[in-house]
Parts: sequence; structure tokens; C-alpha cells
Amino acid sequence: MNKMKFFIQQSWLLIVASFGFGLLLAATNAAWQPMIIQNEKDKFNNLANDLINEAVSFDVALEAAQIDIGKGKIVRTDIKKAVDANGQCVGWAFVAEGSGFADKIRLVVAVDAGAEKLAGFGVLSSNETPGFGDKIKHDFFRLQFMGAPAVPLELSKIGDDAAIDSTIVAISGATVSSEAVVKILNDYVEQVKSLLEDEGSI
Amino acid sequence: MAETSSKIQTFTAGLWKENPVLRLLLGMCPVLAVTAAVKPALTMGLSVIFVLVCSNIVVSLMRNLLKPHLRILMFTLTIATFVTIADLYLKAFMPEMSSSLGPYIPLIIVNCIIICRAEACASKNGILISIVDALGMGLGFTATLVLLAGIRELLATGMFFEIAVMPKWFVPWAAMGMPVGAFITLGLILGGANIISKKVAA
Repeated sequence: MNKMKFFIQQSWLLIVASFGFGLLLAATNAAWQPMIIQNEKDKFNNLANDLINEAVSFDVALEAAQIDIGKGKIVRTDIKKAVDANGQCVGWAFVAEGSGFADKIRLVVAVDAGAEKLAGFGVLSSNETPGFGDKIKHDFFRLQFMGAPAVPLELSKIGDDAAIDSTIVAISGATVSSEAVVKILNDYVEQVKSLLEDEGSI
Repeated sequence: MAETSSKIQTFTAGLWKENPVLRLLLGMCPVLAVTAAVKPALTMGLSVIFVLVCSNIVVSLMRNLLKPHLRILMFTLTIATFVTIADLYLKAFMPEMSSSLGPYIPLIIVNCIIICRAEACASKNGILISIVDALGMGLGFTATLVLLAGIRELLATGMFFEIAVMPKWFVPWAAMGMPVGAFITLGLILGGANIISKKVAA
């Protein structure tokens, strides 16, 4: 009994404060969580909409699709169907991620309705080196993917960056970041395509 | 009268004599990490002011109830609560800024300035002096961050607060936006602060 008394005497403030702060955090979280979720959705939709302009909404078609990103790692992503004003499927979009130079790179990748051509990618989050790796966000690099065939892509240090084909010209000074983006696309696009084929969606 | 002057002294101490960055060399992690541009630096500074003021108020209110061996635990609990609120606020209302600051907002929890002020000031003083101390320290921290970020953003991009200010012939120094730029600029500012304080003392 004495032990219990001693324990409470010593720690009552900590216990009360933990409950108090816990309640405060729960209330804050309850108030702001819907906005945080909406912000994430908006960010995805904005990036995906830049890639598939005619889309008016993105609805989840395949929830938590399993993608093998090599070395035994399996990740899950939602594959969303881009629908235009007439209700027609105009493409597919999903979040894809992989290791970059400094940190994880998260992309929004979009393909056309038949998953035969890439509609391109947008950077959801990355922490690549300013002035070098962060050029993966620039048009020079991104435009090479828009309309490229949805086949395994190759990275080249030289070549014509205006040509839309399966050869991607790397960003000079940022080979690792360029390789990372190409690897992410190669990891995801093929598997997403076969998953959609299995589902009979394409 | 004496009380007012001691409050003014407490406030100005944080700005120069005990400036957390320039004189106490505390909180170096965010100082180096988020000062590539003025906007994130200002956001970090304001977040630190919020956490510092709130944690100083709470610690000051419970200063007579604190058990010596549990006080650090109580400080950390208090700080972590307010940092989480600041983090949720940024995610809900400033999602772009929140993602560009990355882990550095949650890392305010381990920022030495806040725990140092809780221990050195708030746990020994009344609520008013604790608030004044938090504001002085917080503003001193923010001002230094903005100064460092201003120099780096100007030289790395030719912009200040994302507005182009440098003449057209100016060639941006990409290195200033990278960690090396943070170390060099901080070193020069610290050297400058040492020279000024020696001259003032002489």
C-alpha cells in the first residue's frame, strides 16, 4: 500500500499531464485531420490532372495494389481511374515511390487508358539536392516521359531529350536522381499494367 | 519599475547577449537545415516561438509541483504536445510548407533552446517573466534564422522572399543553397558576432 502511495505521490502530475495533453492532441487531431486528408487528395489530384488534362475525377479502381519493387520488398498503392466529363476512362494514376539520392522520392505517375503510353509523372515529395537532383521536377526532364511508351525505360547520358521514346536523357550532375525516377517508373508501370489486365480493366 | 526593467533585460538578452544561435550555439540542426530560403526559415522561427511560449507558460504554471527527477520528462511531454500541434497546423493549413520543412518541425521536440529555457527560466520564474523570456529567445532565434536564410537565398537564387532582387548579370551560387553554404555562412556570421561582442565589451 505504501509503495502504491509513493508511486502516486511521485507520478500523479505526469499521469494527469499525459491525460490532459493526450486529450488536447486528440481534439486538435479530430479538428484538423479531415483538412490534412483533403490536402493530400488535392495534391494528388492536381498533379494527376496536370498529366491527364481531360480528367475530372480520380476514383480508386484497385485498392492497395501490391507492387514488387525488387529485393523482396512489396509496397501497396491505390490505382485510380481518371474519368472525363462523359464518364469515360481517360487514364490511370497512382502514387509510386523509391529511393532517391538523399531521401525517398514519391511520384504521381499517370498512364493512358490502355496503359500503353505514359502520361508522365509529377513529384509528390522529394528531398533531392537543390540545383541538381531537384531538377527531376523541371520540364526538361519530365517532358521526356509524357507520351513515352509504357515499356521498360533506359537512361542515357547523351541523346536527344526532345525525342519521345523509351530512352530518357539524364539530368547532368544528377545521374542518381534520374536513375531513381526511371527505376520507380520501371518498377511500377509494368506491374500496374498487368494488374489492370488481370482485373479486366484494360 | 525595477520589475519592468528586469523584464526588458530578459527580453533583450534573447536578442543579443544570450542569443540562442549566435551566443549559446543551440538549435544548430534547424539553423543549418531550413535556412536555404527565407520562407521556411520564418515558418520554423514562428513555430519555435509558438512552442517556446506555450511550453514556458505550462512549465511555469506547474513549477511548484515538479519533482526533480521527473522534471525533464515533464518538459519533454509538454514540448512534444505543442510541437505536434504546430506540426498538425502546418499540415492542415500550409501543406506545401509542411512538406518542404520535412522532419524539421517534429524535430523541434529535441531542440535544446526550448528545453534549456524550460529548465533555466520557466521552472524557476513566474508566468510573465517566462513569457517575456520565451518571446525574446524565440525572436532572437527567428531573426538569426532569417538573416542566415536571407543571405543564402540571395546568393543561391538571386531572390529574397521568392522575389528576384539581384541584377540580371548575377550568376547564382548553387553551393549556397546546399549544406556547405549553410556552414560557411553560419561560420562567418558567428565570427562577425564575436567581433561585435568583443568591441562592445571593450
